[in-house]
Amino acid sequence: MTVRNIIELRGVEKRYGTFLAASGINLDLKEGEFFSLLGPSGCGKTTVLRMIAGFQEPTKGTVLIDGQDMEGVPANNRPTNMVFQSYAIFPHLNVGNNVAYGLRGKAPKAEIDQRVAEALEMVELGGLEDRGASELSGGQRQRVALARALIMRPKVLLLDEPLSALDKKLREQMQFEMRNLQQSLGITFVMVTHDQYEAMTMSDRIGVMFNGRLKQVDTPTTLYARPCDQQVASFIGEMNILPAQLLEENGDTLSIDAAAFGQMKIERNPNVTTSARDMNIGIRPEQLEITAEKPEDYPSTVQGTVSNVAFYGENIHYHIQVAGTDKPISVSVPNYFHTVDFNRGDAVWLGLQSASVIDLGTDTE
Amino acid sequence: MRRPSTLTAYAFVYLVFLYLPVLFLPLFSFNSGTIVAFPIKGWTLDWYRKLGEQDTLIQALWNSLGVGTVVALLSTAMGLFAARAFVRYRFRGQRAAEGLVMLPLVIPGIIVASSMLVLFLFIGLKPSLLTVVLGHTFLALPFSVSILKSAFDDFDASLEEASYDLGVGVFDTFRRVTLPVVSPGIVASLLVTFTVSFDEFVLAFFLSGNQPTLPVYIWSQIRFPAKLPNVLALGSILLLTSVLLLVLAEYFRRRSSASEVR
Repeated sequence: MTVRNIIELRGVEKRYGTFLAASGINLDLKEGEFFSLLGPSGCGKTTVLRMIAGFQEPTKGTVLIDGQDMEGVPANNRPTNMVFQSYAIFPHLNVGNNVAYGLRGKAPKAEIDQRVAEALEMVELGGLEDRGASELSGGQRQRVALARALIMRPKVLLLDEPLSALDKKLREQMQFEMRNLQQSLGITFVMVTHDQYEAMTMSDRIGVMFNGRLKQVDTPTTLYARPCDQQVASFIGEMNILPAQLLEENGDTLSIDAAAFGQMKIERNPNVTTSARDMNIGIRPEQLEITAEKPEDYPSTVQGTVSNVAFYGENIHYHIQVAGTDKPISVSVPNYFHTVDFNRGDAVWLGLQSASVIDLGTDTE
Repeated sequence: MRRPSTLTAYAFVYLVFLYLPVLFLPLFSFNSGTIVAFPIKGWTLDWYRKLGEQDTLIQALWNSLGVGTVVALLSTAMGLFAARAFVRYRFRGQRAAEGLVMLPLVIPGIIVASSMLVLFLFIGLKPSLLTVVLGHTFLALPFSVSILKSAFDDFDASLEEASYDLGVGVFDTFRRVTLPVVSPGIVASLLVTFTVSFDEFVLAFFLSGNQPTLPVYIWSQIRFPAKLPNVLALGSILLLTSVLLLVLAEYFRRRSSASEVR
């Protein structure tokens, strides 16, 4: 069974004067998925969200929601609801009236009261109807904003940086709560965020945006394992990027000569569109083995010197200076035994399996 | 560091010169003698009592109250839309429009008054309370626009967007979100514009014809020395009311700024 597309963007472009905020956006969002638009600030992700919500009209292209062309349909007539970055809680209304706002005049009072109570229960604010808007904490404001949007039973819930105003602990808790909420309701959530961890922990799929363009749309695991280029690779998690030369292509196997690690055979990355002789490879810091003696069971090894050690608690980060590249190589080791094994200046070996090497193609920029 | 005592003294003298004459007004309004000079002959409330017996004065008071109310409503309504547009939107000619709205603050009143009189006579409007209302609305608009602009500055634009997003149309959003959120600013604007109109003399003098407002009436009475203490009593009341209204307006203006802060 194929899942229905709830939102389709076709060649969507948004231009402000000469500034191109978003261009060439083609995107299908499936019914019931948690989708995140991820990118640095100013990349156009909020513009895309606002075009779906109806606060902005695309300069070019089409926005379809549930198969309907949304051109000329104002925000108040779209089957979407939004949680704003500032939460936009109406300051003159109490919690109950904030949540009931969109239903007033459209349903009998008894039904509204019933639905408000349910919505507040759902976001764990049950019984707080009479609380004033100014008496709410940041986390409570966020929950009220969620309840106020969800009570409308939207086909799509849009979330604009919903967690950025909360402190770290609360943010992590809300990530799980929102994910649970989305799964129990089965509504499509579209979230805009600049926080890669937030996007990865909550989403079914992530769209990565840079400079107004949608670079890659994939599941968090694919995005992490097979980023389409250097830019995406370094935005999602940490990545050691090394130059390499393509020696031979044989089906899906590439023979390369990589800086520092030398010759090896790696798998072709299907997400890479450009490949030429000069290419880049990526290695995740946690995929490297670090040892005092030359490791036996690794096909590629290189010797280096520890230039920096950072202790993170759950893991330890080392920076290793090796011959053949100026930038030190980052290595991350889980803190199994509560010991930091190497110190600055120690001579160490790095071991690498060719399966851990990611083909990043040739940089077009 | 030595305290700049000369500067303190200067500031003190400055304030005394500025406000002492104003304080003489209520002081002499309780003086039983008709000559405004020290020593005070005796204390009396007669001048206040006599105010209620003068029909022309009461009529002028009603004129002023009526004009002030209409002016407050008109200029606040216009100021509300202008202020929202100035804060929310960027449009061609915005700076020019904002400058033009503020212009009445800097044009000399006598020039505005005489040119308005010429204009109204030219288009066939006889000087009356109506022309006073029009003139005062022009004068009061910059006050309401600047008060309401500060109310909109503190007003998170996403509140209106949230309302649209929840399925509520433009007009209902204005009624259910915009108006209540800026209401302290609206009250402040009503109070200030009313006071501006109530205290205004030059325009009213030119444009009121044979329907004097209170300041115009006071000016006509001041020529009779016997009436002077009476005018002082009236002036004291006006002074007190104006100060009260402005303090109240400032209270509401601050509340409008504070309401959006978490």
